[in-house]
Amino acid sequence: MSSEISIKDKIKRNSSMFVNFVKSAVTASPKVQNNFLDVSAKVAETVLKIIKDADLVVDLNYKGKEFWSQNRCKTACFVDGGVDKTSIISSAPLSIRAGSYVVKPDATSKREYFEESMVFLGDLYDPKNELYDFIDDDFEEDQMLNKKKDGARIIFEAATIVKHILLNKKFDYCFLHGPIEGTVMPFSVPGFPTFTKFAVENMFPFAINKKTDVAARHFINVYLEALNYIKKGKFPIYGIVETSNSAPYVKNLLYNYKSQGKISDKDYNNFIKIIKKYKITDSHLLEIILSSGQALKPLEIKKQIQGFTVTAGSSWEDMMESFPKVFIGYIKTTDNNSPIRIESLNNSKNLIKDYEYILGTSRLLPNYGFPVGLNVVDKFAKIPNWMSKASRKYYATHLLRQAVKNKDQNTISLAVKILSKKARSWRNRPIGGITK
Amino acid sequence: MLKNPNWKSIGTVLGETFIDCFYFSLKNYKAKKGDIVTTDSKVPSSEGKIIPVTVWGKISTIESSNAFFPTEAAQELTNEDIDIRDTILPTTRDELICKVVILGYTKDEDKSSKLLPLIYPVRPAATVKYPSSEDVEALLISDLNSSHPIYIGSLLAREAVKIRIDADNLVSRHVSIFGMSGSGKTVMVRRIMHEMLCKNYPMLVLDIHGDYLGFIQKQKELYPENKIKLFYPNLSVSSEDKEIIYTLIDKLGKPLTDPQKDFLNSLLEKVKYEGGSLLKYVKLLNQRAREYASEGSTSFKNIRPASMYVVARSLGQVAKKLENMEQTNFRHRKKMSKLKFVELADPATEPEKIISKGQLSILYLKGYETLPASAIVSILLENLFKHRQEVNEEIPPFLTIIEEAHNFIPSRSENKDDLPSVETIRKVITEGRKFGTGIMIISQRPSRLDETIASQCNSQIIFRMVNQRDQKATRDRSETLDVDDSKQLPNLANGQGIISGQVVNFSLPVQIKFDEKLINEDIGNENFIDTVENWDDSEAVKERQKFAQDFSDISDMDNRSAN
Ligand SMILES: Nc1ncnc2c1ncn2[C@@H]1O[C@H](COP(=O)(O)OP(=O)(O)OP(=O)(O)O)[C@@H](O)[C@H]1O
Ligand SMILES: [Mg+2]
Repeated sequence: MSSEISIKDKIKRNSSMFVNFVKSAVTASPKVQNNFLDVSAKVAETVLKIIKDADLVVDLNYKGKEFWSQNRCKTACFVDGGVDKTSIISSAPLSIRAGSYVVKPDATSKREYFEESMVFLGDLYDPKNELYDFIDDDFEEDQMLNKKKDGARIIFEAATIVKHILLNKKFDYCFLHGPIEGTVMPFSVPGFPTFTKFAVENMFPFAINKKTDVAARHFINVYLEALNYIKKGKFPIYGIVETSNSAPYVKNLLYNYKSQGKISDKDYNNFIKIIKKYKITDSHLLEIILSSGQALKPLEIKKQIQGFTVTAGSSWEDMMESFPKVFIGYIKTTDNNSPIRIESLNNSKNLIKDYEYILGTSRLLPNYGFPVGLNVVDKFAKIPNWMSKASRKYYATHLLRQAVKNKDQNTISLAVKILSKKARSWRNRPIGGITK
Repeated sequence: MLKNPNWKSIGTVLGETFIDCFYFSLKNYKAKKGDIVTTDSKVPSSEGKIIPVTVWGKISTIESSNAFFPTEAAQELTNEDIDIRDTILPTTRDELICKVVILGYTKDEDKSSKLLPLIYPVRPAATVKYPSSEDVEALLISDLNSSHPIYIGSLLAREAVKIRIDADNLVSRHVSIFGMSGSGKTVMVRRIMHEMLCKNYPMLVLDIHGDYLGFIQKQKELYPENKIKLFYPNLSVSSEDKEIIYTLIDKLGKPLTDPQKDFLNSLLEKVKYEGGSLLKYVKLLNQRAREYASEGSTSFKNIRPASMYVVARSLGQVAKKLENMEQTNFRHRKKMSKLKFVELADPATEPEKIISKGQLSILYLKGYETLPASAIVSILLENLFKHRQEVNEEIPPFLTIIEEAHNFIPSRSENKDDLPSVETIRKVITEGRKFGTGIMIISQRPSRLDETIASQCNSQIIFRMVNQRDQKATRDRSETLDVDDSKQLPNLANGQGIISGQVVNFSLPVQIKFDEKLINEDIGNENFIDTVENWDDSEAVKERQKFAQDFSDISDMDNRSAN
């Protein structure tokens, strides 16, 4: 009984689960509110029991000075991407880049360097595929724009790692800010543009000899190619995610137990329902379960799941199975932060050493509790304001010039739309319904 | 044509650019604040062509930051005693961002290299170059386009670049030199004076501390062709100077009531004076006042003899003060027995003795209180100016150098508005352009100077300045001082100044050349420790000491108890 009390206390005292619950309590029914503490405490207790049963918890070793003098000979590479923040309409170009921060503390020359591994300012996506069927609804348009930006960033980050592998870089570690394999489901929407031939060939030179027809240039296909290449990398490559909004680890753990017959189907299904109802995530649970310096051994998890509404019935459905599975683990790096998610495409041979390295680099960023090198490269990769402004102006001017030259009504409308995006009122709203 | 393929590239222009400034990221240690840099650009010409140009600018600020070092990392480093170099933290990402104030552009195909105002911004991402010293100097010279350039020092950021200023503007458009004590003002003035002496330009220096006596000492050696004269003041007045005399007596003497003032006025009317020493005149007035009082004279309406006595006593006091000041000045002169002092000639009748071609006149004012000194200066400048105004000019154009100017032209807020020199200098400075009566104002406290006069100075040379109010006053009264340069003021070292205005075209931080030869040999900076070491008690002190012990013995005995 005593453990139950301490877990309840933990939840109340400092967990993000409690904060999250209090925030959403307004909308939850009185009964849900009432039961929250009891339920969540019981869930945590049960999950902890299973985790112990599966022997998943490991204690990591970190002694500040000693750690660094042992690891000063390691070369680490940190990768992150940045997209401009200013919103322009979906047909406009993106300014986007991905950077690498490479550091070897005891190197005799050039202990560290920053590299703009991928930069782009212009049309990454094929304009032929979308120019004339742009959506006139701002909301939908913004959604598409955000997806395009996300897709572009994910591809750039992957391309950066691919480039390092291609160039045979001698890294001891490579870390990506974000999931090592993102969920591709959002990009399967109909009408999502394909990358230009030029873009694909430049990002993934190994694809040159392969077919680069329109379908092959779709995000999902390009990304799959990249992931398969990354999986073959000779150095450990990890994606680090600060907080998770879902519970893949816990769900998969229980799924495994169900498959092994250790949990009944009924209990499993109820449990999944509860997790949804109370908005319980991996972060919430593990924050309570793990203490600082502890980690969870990785589970092999499928990221791309069949049967979702969006992909269902689409041509992409079969593709989902082809994506590599991801090894997902967690490390609680400091007392005050939720555990960070560690993702990789391979099962590491030196898991404990790798995790300890991640822990050590995270201790240098105590308020956030994730590897400081990622914080460094994040700042480097950010798109400065002037760059995004420049890209917008460049593009609008270019379009307008084209339009005037060709007297093409569609292009003129598009250019006007971009130029007037900033302060649009009903009066200068472009005329909808382009006549073909 | 000022364009050299060998100029080193030192950085890259950043982000947005403007026509008056741009920012660039600097390679480590490749340039300093105050350095002159260039970047290639293109501008549209008036004929609609696009012409290649070189844009010139001055680095006005440099900021260094390591944006990639998260501050919170310091916690763990300290707690665990970790050497940052053992960790993966970045140690070399100090980014240097420079702001460049654009000075103008030169056309690449043009022979003349006059800086033209930029009308089109420079290109972002363009290379920033470091022009050679010779080329910077050549540009500065040709841009200054001066028929009489004078050398004053070198560019602060680059010793090899010599800086010259335009002497024509210097002597006609007035210059102010500000900076705290010991910052290098006098050294600068001596540098300018040296150059102007070589040009035989007449100068008059009002020297309170004897800072300029080195010129006399070195006359034979350095200026054999020049006349250098050292004057001591004689408060000589003419009947026209009634107002000044009245002010002097009024201010130096006892405070007078209205009837007493009336009497003083009438006295000045009655007692005729043909001109000459003020002291003599005051003594004469004193004598007359006494006589009238003892006679019980009735020639002054409504004034009782008692009032006349008060005025007489006040005049006596004035005479005493004037005598004291003369004495003090005399004693100082006596200490410098090697130097030949002559009494100041009468500027009304013999101005050529003070101002003539190739001559430097130093008026040694040490010992005089503000008011009499102001009166002396007022009378002197008033007369010299009159001679310049007359159709048959009796004296050539000349430059007046006013040290410790707050004594002569205090601001209104100092409540010394009735100093006679304020009005005179205001007149001389406003009309200086027409009549060639240039003025150089030197002061430690610009905030205490008369605002109109200070803002008439079209050029400034500013040295180290820590006082906020003085910094503000300096900025307010200068149209040309670069804002970023002015932030540097508290950190300047001796002899480093910012020069701006018409003598240079644009604001430049300069290291002034120090002419060691021109400092006074025996009366330089006061060194009290040496003075004490060589101290010999005066005769009077020695005499007193001779008997002191005896008297002390007597009094000791006297106090002994009787038993
Ligand atoms: N350009 C220079 N180069 C080297 N040293 C200098 C320079 N200018 C001034 N100094 C040093 O600083 C000292 C003081 O300079 P200076 O007499 O010019 O000060 P100042 O500003 O006139 O001070 P004050 O207001 O007290 O008269 C000089 O004696 C000299 O030692
Ligand atoms: Mg001085």
